[in-house]
Amino acid sequence: MPELSTKKVGLIACSGEEIPEGTVTRLAVRKVLESLRPQHTVTICLPLFLAGGEGDRAFARYYPTIAVDGCEKRCAARGTEMYSGKPAVSVVVSELAPANSSGLGSARRLSETGMQVVNDVAERIAAHVGQLLDVPWDRRSGLSLHDSPLREEAKPQTAPCSCGSGIPVKVVEVAGRQIPLVALPLIFTQFREAGKLPNDSTKTELMQAARIYNPIPHDEESACAEAILREYAAFCQGSD
Amino acid sequence: MREKVLIVPCSGIGKSLGSVAREGAYVVTEELCPDRTRLMPLALLVLDEKETRIELSSAEAITLDGCVKACAAKVVEGAGGAVAHALQVLDVCRRHPNLKPSGISELDESGRKLAHALAEEVKELVENMTGGLRNA
Repeated sequence: MPELSTKKVGLIACSGEEIPEGTVTRLAVRKVLESLRPQHTVTICLPLFLAGGEGDRAFARYYPTIAVDGCEKRCAARGTEMYSGKPAVSVVVSELAPANSSGLGSARRLSETGMQVVNDVAERIAAHVGQLLDVPWDRRSGLSLHDSPLREEAKPQTAPCSCGSGIPVKVVEVAGRQIPLVALPLIFTQFREAGKLPNDSTKTELMQAARIYNPIPHDEESACAEAILREYAAFCQGSD
Repeated sequence: MREKVLIVPCSGIGKSLGSVAREGAYVVTEELCPDRTRLMPLALLVLDEKETRIELSSAEAITLDGCVKACAAKVVEGAGGAVAHALQVLDVCRRHPNLKPSGISELDESGRKLAHALAEEVKELVENMTGGLRNA
């Protein structure tokens, strides 16, 4: 049975070892991962990302990411954009805590003030995570898709994935347009194996699952739900 | 004047051994060989800035990696730097089987000891590279 992981947000800390702000990024991200949003976040290893970690690059192409940088050089944000896609959110510690860097302590050992900044930055990151999980997001531009129509520019059967595994895509017709929906074949398989019949109740669940992986504007939800249910019915009948 | 040896630790935040590499780099650059070494953040290398390229091209580097993926060594080489020694924390672990580090945000005592053991190995390498015991 295919595993469909819940949508998660990737956190990329610059981890800049030279300045206390870099340490703040590292500790703040760890706090979000360990205690504030453990179910909804993963860390993307910046060095592995830069060294050619295909899995990490693929994740950042597919899921929203938050780059957390210590200074205005924005190594994490720029590295992510260079090797994968634009981060959905870019947090810069020196902009959030513009006070004298030395007040934060040293890069090796943060002061009490520095640890307070860690908490503040972690809270800020956690808030962004919540927003990203609720708001449709364009992985290419890093922008919200609340007000834009569903993309029609490509009709791939498999979403490009640098790890080579590929993420299956199903193209469905919504209001006369061909729309590629990522992961839909996996969702269909999972639902069928769970014995879910193609009815109104299942339609709601299908939409919830599809929305995890696809940005669907509010004004197209109804038409999209009908299209997905229609495709699911065909899938169950083996005529897909 | 000879350039300082660049100490480039893995900057991973997902494993204890990455934290050991980082702490080991701090011990070398702040305590054991502050006059002969300089810590270089890995993330900085991605930007390909002129200043960083010059620094990389004019000095040798010792990379400290937390896992076999050897990101620090790969990134330095990819940026055109000369890796004089590529150390793996795992190798240091094998030489000190009694030390089993844990903790990421904050290393436990075992992790701190391992970082010091790593740093001592780096210190020897730095002394060999720069000749003599200038900091001793």
